[in-house]
Amino acid sequence: MKIVVAYKWAPNPQDLEVRADGTVDEARGKPAVSEYDPVAFELARRLADETGGEVVGLTVGAAAIDTPLARKAALSRGLDRLVLVADDALAGADSTRLAAVLAAAVRAIGGVDLVLAGDSSVDVAEGQVPLTAAAQLGWLGLGRVTAVTPAAEGLSVERDTPAGVAVLAVRTPVVLAATADAVVPRVAGMKDILAAAKKPVEVLALAALDVPAPAVTLATLGTAKPSGGDRRAVLFDGSDPASAASQLVGALRSAGVL
Amino acid sequence: MNASNASQSWVVVADDPAVTGLVEVARTVADEVVAVVVGARPVADTVAAGVDRVVWLGEPGAVPLEAFAPQVAELVAAARPVAVVGAATPAGRALLGAVAARTQAPVLGGVRTVSVADGRVVVTHAVMGGIAERTVALEGGPAVLAVEAGAVPAGGATAPVAEVAGAPLDAATVTQVRPKVRAGVDLGAASVVVGVGRGLKAEADLGLIRGLAAAVHGEVACSRPLAEGVEWLPKESYIGISGQHVAPDLYVAVAISGQLQHMVGVRDAKVIVAVNNDKNAPVFGQCDYGVVGDLYQVVPALTAALGGSDD
Ligand SMILES: Cc1cc2nc3c(=O)[nH]c(=O)nc-3n(C[C@H](O)[C@H](O)[C@H](O)COP(=O)(O)OP(=O)(O)OC[C@H]3O[C@@H](n4cnc5c(N)ncnc54)[C@H](O)[C@@H]3O)c2cc1C
Repeated sequence: MKIVVAYKWAPNPQDLEVRADGTVDEARGKPAVSEYDPVAFELARRLADETGGEVVGLTVGAAAIDTPLARKAALSRGLDRLVLVADDALAGADSTRLAAVLAAAVRAIGGVDLVLAGDSSVDVAEGQVPLTAAAQLGWLGLGRVTAVTPAAEGLSVERDTPAGVAVLAVRTPVVLAATADAVVPRVAGMKDILAAAKKPVEVLALAALDVPAPAVTLATLGTAKPSGGDRRAVLFDGSDPASAASQLVGALRSAGVL
Repeated sequence: MNASNASQSWVVVADDPAVTGLVEVARTVADEVVAVVVGARPVADTVAAGVDRVVWLGEPGAVPLEAFAPQVAELVAAARPVAVVGAATPAGRALLGAVAARTQAPVLGGVRTVSVADGRVVVTHAVMGGIAERTVALEGGPAVLAVEAGAVPAGGATAPVAEVAGAPLDAATVTQVRPKVRAGVDLGAASVVVGVGRGLKAEADLGLIRGLAAAVHGEVACSRPLAEGVEWLPKESYIGISGQHVAPDLYVAVAISGQLQHMVGVRDAKVIVAVNNDKNAPVFGQCDYGVVGDLYQVVPALTAALGGSDD
């Protein structure tokens, strides 16, 4: 089974500076393999080991996603090889565009049975990209996957749905996005990090991929820093819990919220 | 895509009749709202109370909803609506993703306001996990929007429901559903919410938090790791960017560090209180009142000061 893990190299927005005019200064951000993506790496590795398959890491984005650190961070998490599309034309790309490029790269890789993704990315946190990518490929896309195992015809997939845990018989090719706690990912050890340096990396040129052109143009009319972040904390010292509690209750009563 | 049909917007429904949030947004940009419903017939009938026309794709049987996404996208694309609105849920996003792929339009989430100006749809939405907001005007295709689902429309005027034979992808069959024990959590209606985080040492200690919630007549909520990870509370109870967004009069964050992904879910709370034993926890920069101390001492003291008792 040939498995592609689509992951993101991104900063936690918590570390970014938002200027008063609402524009974002990304300089202080420390990009990393997005928080929940190691879950997808782990699911992929286990499935590949059971089926005698291959795990290919795939990420797309601006040129800055391709650094030695970024390559090593991904390759030390159970991948057999890595494929990148790193082009500044993709800086700030929306989910539809990223999904279109991922889909084109999956087609270029060829013979892929399964694309696995994490719950949602640390920077955008919407979980949209894998589902849009499935549609770009013309495949079924399922989110909230808690377990995947090989089955006679394809895969047996468990999902967390509003009605309960659904068990599905799924034919490949398919795109699956895991829940944040589907499996506990292994921690990369020194051996994995050393081995990462020897694994193959392929960089695909964006221009060489068959990516549909975006149809919608977005004109930015303005940016803003959201309100609600400007609370001024009045702190009480809890080393005397009874006194802190009565002061707090007093304050809440005067604020009219109790 | 050619010029869109400015008088029509579509809502895409993935087996969830809670569509008032979707319809409200769809109505701001067009006079006529058409719903395409994937799911059981009663869902289509319920949705019909809130829109002008319903297209229903028939009983899905053992086929997962997501398999109907390409057909939904074809129907939507053929109608060329000015906007396509779906729920910001995994099932809703599967339908929106197919619409996005079919039209090569972006899916805008974190939507705050939608309007029409000079014939263009203008959307203000949160970006980068909610640290900033952006206002954009769209041109060249539909505004594809992922929004909070809202409530089930109340009965009343009922729009016609037209059945179109379903043509799902032949890729998956649901073989079994193990039903969840429903928790009946309704955080949205609560005027006081007490949220607890990973600083709680054991599941049994939830009694302390329940005692505090009872004393303030509030509901118990949590951070994501307590619902997904250890599962001490139902998934419907966690607050944040991937969970519930609430706007109570009072939110009490107990042993929650105050990560961005959690705090965006309570940004609209009137008053935020934090209890944390780390005086440098980021939550203290985002609250109105804070108690720096151990929850195991502060929470019982607070419950007592409110005239309540521990469970
Ligand atoms: C894409 C993405 C989406 C996410 N979505 C969400 C979301 O929707 N909701 C969400 O909540 N999280 C979400 N997260 C996770 C989020 O980033 C944080 O990891 C999470 O909110 C932390 O939970 P916490 O504050 O309970 O735990 P921690 O960060 O571990 O904080 C625990 C706190 O408890 C305090 N503490 C410990 N012991 C005591 C004590 N005895 N008394 C008082 N205080 C004590 C500690 O000082 C600490 O501040 C998301 C993450 C990602 C990557």
